[in-house]
Amino acid sequence: MSAVNFWGKMLNVDRRWIFLLIGVVSIVPFLIPVGMPLTTTTEVESIYDCIDSLGPENAIFLAFDFDPGTDAENMPMSVAVMRHAFFRHVPVFMTAYTPLGNGMMMSGFEYVTNQELPGCYTPVDYADWATYRDAGIVDRDGLVAAWEADGHSLPENSVGWVFEGRDYALLGYLPLFHLVILGMTSSIEAQYPEDSHGNPLVEMPMLREHKSLREVDLALTMAGSSACMSWIIYGREKIGLPIAFGVTAVMATDYFPFIQSHQIIGQMGGLRGAAEYEVLMERNGVSATTDKAFTGMDVQSAAHLLIILLIIMGNVAYFAGGFHKQHLMKSGR
Amino acid sequence: MSYDLIGIWVAALFTLAIYSFLYKENPLYRLAEHLVVGISAGYSIAITYDIVVGPKLVDPLIAGTGWVLLIPGILGLLYITRFMPNVAWLSRYPMAFIMGTSMGVGFPLTMKAEVLRQLEAAMAPIYAAGMPWHIVLGNLVMIFGTLAALIYFFFSKPHKGIFFGTGSKVGIWVIMLGFGATFGFTVMGRISLLIGRIQFLLGDWLHLIK
Repeated sequence: MSAVNFWGKMLNVDRRWIFLLIGVVSIVPFLIPVGMPLTTTTEVESIYDCIDSLGPENAIFLAFDFDPGTDAENMPMSVAVMRHAFFRHVPVFMTAYTPLGNGMMMSGFEYVTNQELPGCYTPVDYADWATYRDAGIVDRDGLVAAWEADGHSLPENSVGWVFEGRDYALLGYLPLFHLVILGMTSSIEAQYPEDSHGNPLVEMPMLREHKSLREVDLALTMAGSSACMSWIIYGREKIGLPIAFGVTAVMATDYFPFIQSHQIIGQMGGLRGAAEYEVLMERNGVSATTDKAFTGMDVQSAAHLLIILLIIMGNVAYFAGGFHKQHLMKSGR
Repeated sequence: MSYDLIGIWVAALFTLAIYSFLYKENPLYRLAEHLVVGISAGYSIAITYDIVVGPKLVDPLIAGTGWVLLIPGILGLLYITRFMPNVAWLSRYPMAFIMGTSMGVGFPLTMKAEVLRQLEAAMAPIYAAGMPWHIVLGNLVMIFGTLAALIYFFFSKPHKGIFFGTGSKVGIWVIMLGFGATFGFTVMGRISLLIGRIQFLLGDWLHLIK
C-alpha cells in the first residue's frame, strides 16, 4: 500500500468507526469514573452569588424555556438552581415558555422532590397547610415550627420542607409568553389567576409579597432557544429586572455579549455550566454531593480529547498525503 | 409492572431506535422519528387545550360569563381557514393582529435590548485609572475586533489599502475565531446530549450507574 493510499484511507475512514469510538469513550468513564477537577467561571459564580445573597423575603423566577430535546443540558442547571433556592428558602415562581416546557417544569420539580433520592426536599401541597394559613402563620420559620409541632417529620432522605404558595409556585405555560412577561411587569396574578394545580395565586403568601416582576429579585431563564431573549427585552429593558441565563452550549457564544453589556448577571453554558453550579453548591455546603452534570464531565473531557485527536489525525493525513496540493480527497462516507 | 417502568423501557428502546441511524437509516429509526414529531404536536395541543383553551375560553363561554371572549375565539378560529383555499385569506386577520401587536409592543424594547445596549457596551472606556491590564487588553480586542468585523461587511469600497484591506483581513480572522468558539461549544453541546442519553440508559434503564 502506497503512502498516499494509506493517508487517503485514513481520511475516508467509515464514519461509523468514529461513532463507535465516541460511544466507547462516552460509556467507559461512567463505569470507571476518574473525577477530573472542574474549575468555576465568573459567569456561573455571579449567578450562584446572587442567589446565595437572597433569602425568604426575596423571590426569583425560574423559567423552563426548553423542550425535551435539550433536557440533558438545561435540566441539570434548572435542578441545581431550584435546590439552591430551596436551601436558601427563596420563593421560586416557575414558568414555561412552551407546552413541552410545562412538562419539563413538572419533571424538574418532581426530581428535586423525589423522596427516594438523597438531598431531596419534601413538598407540602397548598391545601395541606390551609389551616396554618387561616391561623395567620405564613412566615417560613413559624410555619415549619408549627408544621413539625403537629407531628410532621422529614422523611429519611429529605433535607427540608417546601410549602406550595410559600416556597414555590408552579405557574406553568401560557401562550405568547413574551406578552405574559410584559403583563407580569404590572401584575403576576393578572396573568396567572391560578397555578398549575388550580390554586388561586391571590391567596398565596409569596404572591402577596411579590405582586409583580418589579418586586422580584432575579429571573433565570433556562433556555434551549432564543426564548431567553424575551426576558431581556420585556423584563430587563422595561423594568430593569435582573436576568441570568442557563443556555445550551450551542447558544452560549451568542449570549456572551449580554454579559459584557451588563444585561444579564451571568450565564450557565451547557452541561459544563450546570456542573460548575453543582461544584459551587457542594463546595459551599448547599448540597452534600454533586449531581448528574458533574458526573458527565469525565465523559465530556474524554470525548473532547478523542475529537481533538481525530482532528489532529485528519490534518496530519491531509498534509502528509499531499492532498492540500492534489485535491484528491474523496467525499467521506 | 408500574407505569414508570413501562415509560423507562419505552424511552430506552426508542433511544436505541434513534441511535440505530448511526449505523444506517432503517424503518425503526423512521418510526421513532415520526412518533417524536407526532407525540410532541399532540402533547402540545392537549396541554394548550387543558391550560388555555378550556379554562380561559370554553369554560367561561359555557358558563355564560365571558361573551367578550367570542372575539378572540373567532379570531383564533380563523387560523383554521388556511386549510380551505376559498376562504384562506381570512387567516391573514389573526396573523396581522399578532404581528401588529408583537411589532408594536416589541420593536422599541427590542431595539433597546439588542442594538442600543450593545452599542453602549462597545463604547465603554478602554482605560480608566486602576483598571487591570487584562481588562484594558480585553477592551482593545473587543473594540478593534468589532470595527474590523464591521469593515469586512462593508461592501461599498474595495477591500484594498491599509484601512479597508488590512481591516477586512483582521475582520475575517476575528469572525473565524468566533466561528471556532461556536464550533467548540457546539461539539460540547452535542456530546452533552449524548451524555444525557447514556446516563439514562446506564442509570435509569440498566441500573449500572447511580
